[in-house]
Amino acid sequence: MSTAPARLFERPWMRWTIAVVIVALAVVLPLVFPAFTNQTLARIGVFAVAVLGLNVVMGYAGQVSLGQIFFVGLGAYVTAYGVTQNWNIALVFVLSVLIPGVVGLVVALAAARLGGLAIAMVTIALPIVGVPLAKRLSEFTGGSQGLSAIFAKAPTWSGLYDDQWQLYLVLLIGGITFLLTRNLVHGKYGRAFAIVKGNQAVAGSMGVSPYRFKVLAFTVASLIGGVSGFLYMVVVQYTSPETMSFGSSITLLASMVIGGAASILGSVLGGAYYVLVPQLTNAINPNLTAVLQGVILLAVLFILPGGLVSLPRTIRRLWTRTRRGGNPSPPTQAASRQADLAEGSPTERQGQA
Amino acid sequence: MNMRRRVKGVLGVVAVTSAIALTLAGCSRGGDDASGSSAPSPGITDTTVTLGITTPLSGATAGPGTCTVAGITAYFGAKNAAGGVKFGDGKTRKVEIKSLDDGYDPQKAAANYQQLKDSVFAMTAGLGTPTNRAWREAAISDKVPQVLVMTGDPIFSDQKQSPWQLGFVPIYQNEGEAFGKLLASSSAPHKVAILSQNDDYGKGYVEGFMAGIKGASNITVVKELTYEATDTSVDAQLTELASTGADVFFNAMSITPLVISSLNKAQSLGWKPSWFLPSNTSSPGAILQKANDVSVYPGIYSVAFSKAAASPAFANDEDMKTFLSDLKKYANYPDTPEFPHCAWSYMVGATLDQAFQKMTSPTRDDFMKALRSISDYQAPLMLPDTAVDTTKDGSPAVSTVLVQKYNGKGYATVTTWQ
Repeated sequence: MSTAPARLFERPWMRWTIAVVIVALAVVLPLVFPAFTNQTLARIGVFAVAVLGLNVVMGYAGQVSLGQIFFVGLGAYVTAYGVTQNWNIALVFVLSVLIPGVVGLVVALAAARLGGLAIAMVTIALPIVGVPLAKRLSEFTGGSQGLSAIFAKAPTWSGLYDDQWQLYLVLLIGGITFLLTRNLVHGKYGRAFAIVKGNQAVAGSMGVSPYRFKVLAFTVASLIGGVSGFLYMVVVQYTSPETMSFGSSITLLASMVIGGAASILGSVLGGAYYVLVPQLTNAINPNLTAVLQGVILLAVLFILPGGLVSLPRTIRRLWTRTRRGGNPSPPTQAASRQADLAEGSPTERQGQA
Repeated sequence: MNMRRRVKGVLGVVAVTSAIALTLAGCSRGGDDASGSSAPSPGITDTTVTLGITTPLSGATAGPGTCTVAGITAYFGAKNAAGGVKFGDGKTRKVEIKSLDDGYDPQKAAANYQQLKDSVFAMTAGLGTPTNRAWREAAISDKVPQVLVMTGDPIFSDQKQSPWQLGFVPIYQNEGEAFGKLLASSSAPHKVAILSQNDDYGKGYVEGFMAGIKGASNITVVKELTYEATDTSVDAQLTELASTGADVFFNAMSITPLVISSLNKAQSLGWKPSWFLPSNTSSPGAILQKANDVSVYPGIYSVAFSKAAASPAFANDEDMKTFLSDLKKYANYPDTPEFPHCAWSYMVGATLDQAFQKMTSPTRDDFMKALRSISDYQAPLMLPDTAVDTTKDGSPAVSTVLVQKYNGKGYATVTTWQ
């Protein structure tokens, strides 16, 4: 009974319908929403992309990275610098993705030789070095006063408001990034990442070089970080050393875990968490934001250890359990648990979005 | 056949969704702001006016950030309890304050601004350079006042670049210049050694100091060195500066532990100049009394414009007593504030009150005009001979600071070099 709706969602025509509806909504809703909703959604998009990058290296390839915000900040700075120098915006975009990618590659070439926590330590260094570096290189970064770059104003031919135009840009660029990443992690690279994550010795014995795939995952995460940095400038239009503060990096990590590790949809939920929770706690009591954020973090992880993305599964499990609870035959409990496991495993690994 | 029907179904769904959405889109954002300029701006009615603040209430700068909200809340809390503020248009309004936490994150500050801008009349009092810069341009294009903000960044007081902004606290240059002028007025020749933080903070102080001593033939700058904000020791620089034998040391340093260790290091090198320290790193309790005996130095100078809550000199001051009781009563801030930002924010409230009294129509335009026309206003808690002056382009609301000399317990104003 419970598998029927799941089957329904696996049919190709149903998937196409969902895709079409999502695209239609993405096109139409920005026209309908008030400005603040659009701006909030755009910010969610920015951080969803950042969380997605983190998910590639941590969720899928299992390498702890505490430095993702550095690549976001680097992408933002490259964008801001390029815009203030009046470079072509397409070139600025390419550079804002490539430069963090190259830096990520160089760091990964060294860091991926290390195991486990040592990688985490190297990645901690990135935002810690990044903030003073951004302050010091003031001819490029504007020092502690930061850089403003306003380039994402809606062109007059579009007839759109700025917030609508910015949200469309985020949806388009972010959407493509998500699609490409989904294809990457669902294909052979995704399987390789999963093996590297599971057991490096096994990976080696199967001809999958853990070192190469760790470097790859790290580089892809930095590239995606760069995309996020570009979008950050589209939406926030300002960057300063505080953009890449270590605290933000930790919040990004928490957002990934809360959204759901190794899940595409979880990345979107993570972005939503990153943006909405400060807004929510501000609405409750602006003097207690830090405490409330801690409480929410604990509550979500306690109730949903698999992250927000596991909510439907948890509900379904509870639902089947209560339904079966009325049924006196004992073996069904074990059977339902087995069914849960069967259903759960692909979602855990691949996160059907 | 089955497939075709499904495709039709899909198309139907899309068509219906689009149709509904387009209808809704037609309805939204109907109200263009084409109405006349005398219509009230958002956030103000005949009985209330709402002010917005985005400031760090969590994280490393939460202490001063909380103060920026507490001071203004205390000021208007007392005003509201007495009936409200009498505006220039004859109406009496209560002042409401909406404050949001940005955790010193520019992205969150910008989000807070977007959230508040349609429901508040003006944004004010927020602390931080990046967190105010993040939405400066947006405030200009939305024509939302971003006034009396707590940042030493001069851009907020430049009317051409920032038509809807005004800084409150003196910019770094003001502080350096005040000390430079005092030193230049001395009758004796002086050799000055300069150490500054290698960023806009340090550069601002040095720039102001140089402007202050300009044309003074009795002052020579013998050596100028810098350090990085991330440095953990400046011993090398101090040794080099000590070797010049300078009798005045201008130290534009923003990091508390470094100031303490430099006070100690200079002593151990046997170098005993007069010191200048910036206003935020010259606290008697947190810095001077933590260092080894600083009385070996002929003088330790700093600058100030407000009475210090912790100083015994003002314990019986009327302004100070009202301020502390208002903080306790209306802002839920029972302690004697450690940060000057509480007093500054209280003065922001008083300055806004002045602007409100001059406003003749309830619009943001008129408010900015009124705000830019305050001169020679002595706000509560201000030191004698300092005043709020918003009429000078390029200067924040408060640009006069008084040089202070440490007397072993607290600071006292000095007007001549002794």
